[in-house]
Amino acid sequence: MRPARALGRRAEDLALAGLDAALASRLGTEVVDRVLASDLARHAVARLLEGPLVETVARDVVRYAVLERLTDELADDPELERIATRVLESKLMDDAVRLLLEGEQLWLVVNEVAQSSAVTEAIARQSASFTDQVAGQVRDRSSSADARLERAARRMLRRPPAR
Amino acid sequence: MTVAVREYQGLVTRAIAFAVDAAIVNLIALVVGVGVGLALSILTIHDSLEVVLVAVGGAAFVLWTVGYFVVFWSTTGQTPGNRLMQVRVLGDDGERLRPRRALLRFGGLVLAALPLFAGFLPVLVDDRRRGLHDMLARTIVVRAPQTPAGRRT
Repeated sequence: MRPARALGRRAEDLALAGLDAALASRLGTEVVDRVLASDLARHAVARLLEGPLVETVARDVVRYAVLERLTDELADDPELERIATRVLESKLMDDAVRLLLEGEQLWLVVNEVAQSSAVTEAIARQSASFTDQVAGQVRDRSSSADARLERAARRMLRRPPAR
Repeated sequence: MTVAVREYQGLVTRAIAFAVDAAIVNLIALVVGVGVGLALSILTIHDSLEVVLVAVGGAAFVLWTVGYFVVFWSTTGQTPGNRLMQVRVLGDDGERLRPRRALLRFGGLVLAALPLFAGFLPVLVDDRRRGLHDMLARTIVVRAPQTPAGRRT
């Protein structure tokens, strides 16, 4: 059994060496370039995208909570947190913010957003609802003040309470 | 058939509505008065003409005040102050006031205010919360909540 096993190992090593040589060779690169540039590759990608594989992958990503797991992994990673802190504290960030504030583009965007009908409508709605709220409170309080005042006046005049 | 129950409005609610109206009337009169005063200040006006202008200004203020209330009461039944407090002035038959009746109500309002506002005290004890001016002009003041679409109720 031992010579047979040694022969097998030898054959494996030879095959791998052949593969390495093929991958490192100009021929390998040329083959890959030609395959990728071919209609066959385009057809294969098109069929792949047309087929149910995309939906299946998307479903599996959701089913196995891939994104959540990835996010959890990244969020819990102290190294990532350290990198983020360093970026935020860096001079680069300060310069970027300073340049952004000094540039006219930001203020053009801010003006554009501030003057957009969606924003003005939202502000108007907010203001109107605030005014309504204040007016509603004033009405409620004045109504109860009316009732108290009338009860006191009727008591003073010894008149029966209003129906 | 459902009969709408009228909610008559009391003294405090009506006083707040009136205060809002008074503020609007006086603010507009003040702005106009200052504008006219500035315009006249560049002209040389004789003393006797100045007295006439003051009298005209006073008359215009009275007309403006009377017009404000009469027009609102006889059209929508609500001044801006009434609208804010969601109240409406109606005839005691539930109908909208005619201008003559609205004018009578305004006269009654002045009469009610003259004896240290004693003319408003009946609002506290009357079953329909009417003051002297309401009794004179046969009017009532009822709650008029605004619907979300802004329709009258």
